[in-house]
Amino acid sequence: MMSALLRPERRRDALLPLLTVLLVALVLFMGRLEPLFHAAFPQLETAVYARESFWRLTLDHLVLVLVSSLISVSVGVAAGLFVTRRTGREFEPLVSALAAIGQTFPPAAVLAIVVPLAGFGFVPTIVALTLYGLLPVVQNTITGLRTVPADTLEAARGTGMSARQILWRVELPLAMRVIIAGVRVSVIINIGTATIGSTVGAQSLGTPIIAGLVGDNIAYVIQGAVLVGLLAIVSDLAFERLERRYRIGGEASA
Amino acid sequence: MIELQGLTKTYGDKTVVSDISLRVERGEFSVLIGPSGCGKSTTLRMINRLIPLTQGRILLGDEDVTRLPAEQLRRRIGYAIQSIGLFPHWTVADNIAVVPNLLKWPRARIASRVDELLDLFHLDAGEFRDKYPHQLSGGQAQRVGVARALAADPEVLLMDEPFGAVDPLTREVLQNEMRRVHEQTGTTVIFVTHDMDEALKLASRIALLDAGRLVQYDRPIELLTAPAESFVSDFIGKADLGLKLLSRRWVHQYQQAATMSSEAPHHWETDAQGHPTCLHGGRPTTDVAPSVAVTDDWTATPGMTMKEALSRMVWYRVGVLPVIDDAGRLVGEVTLEGVMGRQP
Repeated sequence: MMSALLRPERRRDALLPLLTVLLVALVLFMGRLEPLFHAAFPQLETAVYARESFWRLTLDHLVLVLVSSLISVSVGVAAGLFVTRRTGREFEPLVSALAAIGQTFPPAAVLAIVVPLAGFGFVPTIVALTLYGLLPVVQNTITGLRTVPADTLEAARGTGMSARQILWRVELPLAMRVIIAGVRVSVIINIGTATIGSTVGAQSLGTPIIAGLVGDNIAYVIQGAVLVGLLAIVSDLAFERLERRYRIGGEASA
Repeated sequence: MIELQGLTKTYGDKTVVSDISLRVERGEFSVLIGPSGCGKSTTLRMINRLIPLTQGRILLGDEDVTRLPAEQLRRRIGYAIQSIGLFPHWTVADNIAVVPNLLKWPRARIASRVDELLDLFHLDAGEFRDKYPHQLSGGQAQRVGVARALAADPEVLLMDEPFGAVDPLTREVLQNEMRRVHEQTGTTVIFVTHDMDEALKLASRIALLDAGRLVQYDRPIELLTAPAESFVSDFIGKADLGLKLLSRRWVHQYQQAATMSSEAPHHWETDAQGHPTCLHGGRPTTDVAPSVAVTDDWTATPGMTMKEALSRMVWYRVGVLPVIDDAGRLVGEVTLEGVMGRQP
């Protein structure tokens, strides 16, 4: 029975290295596919985006996602921690509402507001992505910490652990899985959303997509979109593995 | 020794615990009992300051610990609760080792202490050390919970209805084990329950609380025979007072030499090893066979309560039970006449 339960996981485990290799190969050798794109779209003058190398675009894309996620996660986890402590309890509705507003505000609208203030390029994109990715982190941090059983906390206090020891030894380890799940959602969303940064001049995998849309070059759009999609799937699988690590001691691995 | 002096807890103008003073001597098993809402749990939780006290002092030994930082105090006081609250992400060994770890004991000492405690609760160390809480049965988890509370040799062990959530059979086993562990370790225990039978079985002293007030603090037998006010006997329940008394009496107190002479109204037959095999006579009515083979079910042991012995007599319709030692050898007998002949 165990093996039957394990099988889907095993299959996904095999998928991660496979798709990673595919992603890296496409990033490095997209140019080699030119004959293929030519055959598919014979009307196009240039069939592969070449104004910038794909690895450069991918790298810029990743930097956008990493920087914004890092900010989302630190701010989000800190906010989640704060409102689950005794002193911050009253702020929970406020923090949840703010995070929800960040999520419902379309990133394009954020760009429209931030660009006049901060100019074009990297900064407004980071602001938009950070706001957009905040909600899942905040919510999952709160949920994760809230689901730590009350009797476990009572026992922890009863043994004489300090508040800090309870947080680090009991609450965070028990909440970690749910928190990581929130980070996972946030990062995946931002991998997709980072493409719109290219509308305000931040270089990313959205750049060929925008160029393709503007210049009526469907091949550019496909090249950008496929790489963004692959990047999202690979990250998702990697996060899934990470989450599994935080499964609570010896729990059935299905 | 632990002493509570004028312990009081008020929430706003509502007093939940009112001026409770009691002293628990070293090695004593003290039970706080009372109807729900009487303040017994609140009193217990004030001792390790999970609930801050409004007024009063707590002495541990000769030391006033009322102003000691709560975390330091708690590391000196064991705490076991009904819901157990084992840490689900830690193994049994890690769970037991929590307080020794907080006290920064050396690793080797912690490991040997964990094995010692598992052993004390008859849990095989090799098998249980690395298990996770979700792999344990309710009874095993509660044993680990108590082992965790005992790990750092606390000056006092506080237990808040620890056996309230397990099935009656397991509860009985755990109570017997608690008695044995208490005898072996000599730990001072303060135990909260609402179950009078549990209190009578375990306590060397019972504190009966009502509406936040200490009604009587006495040995169990005094509670039964010399209630301070009518509330005490009402709470204990008059209906089966006789049986309750017998639940505080032990077979060894009533035990007499086994009758072996075939001249007597009843006598025992034993095999070569001294195990009782057959009882001749000793049956109170004539509608049952005059001789009966001894089975494990209707023997008594010196540590058994007289309540249980009497129950066996009634069930098996015999006026006399063989008392056997650990090896199953006949060491004496208890008789119905003996039970009737001796009153507190």
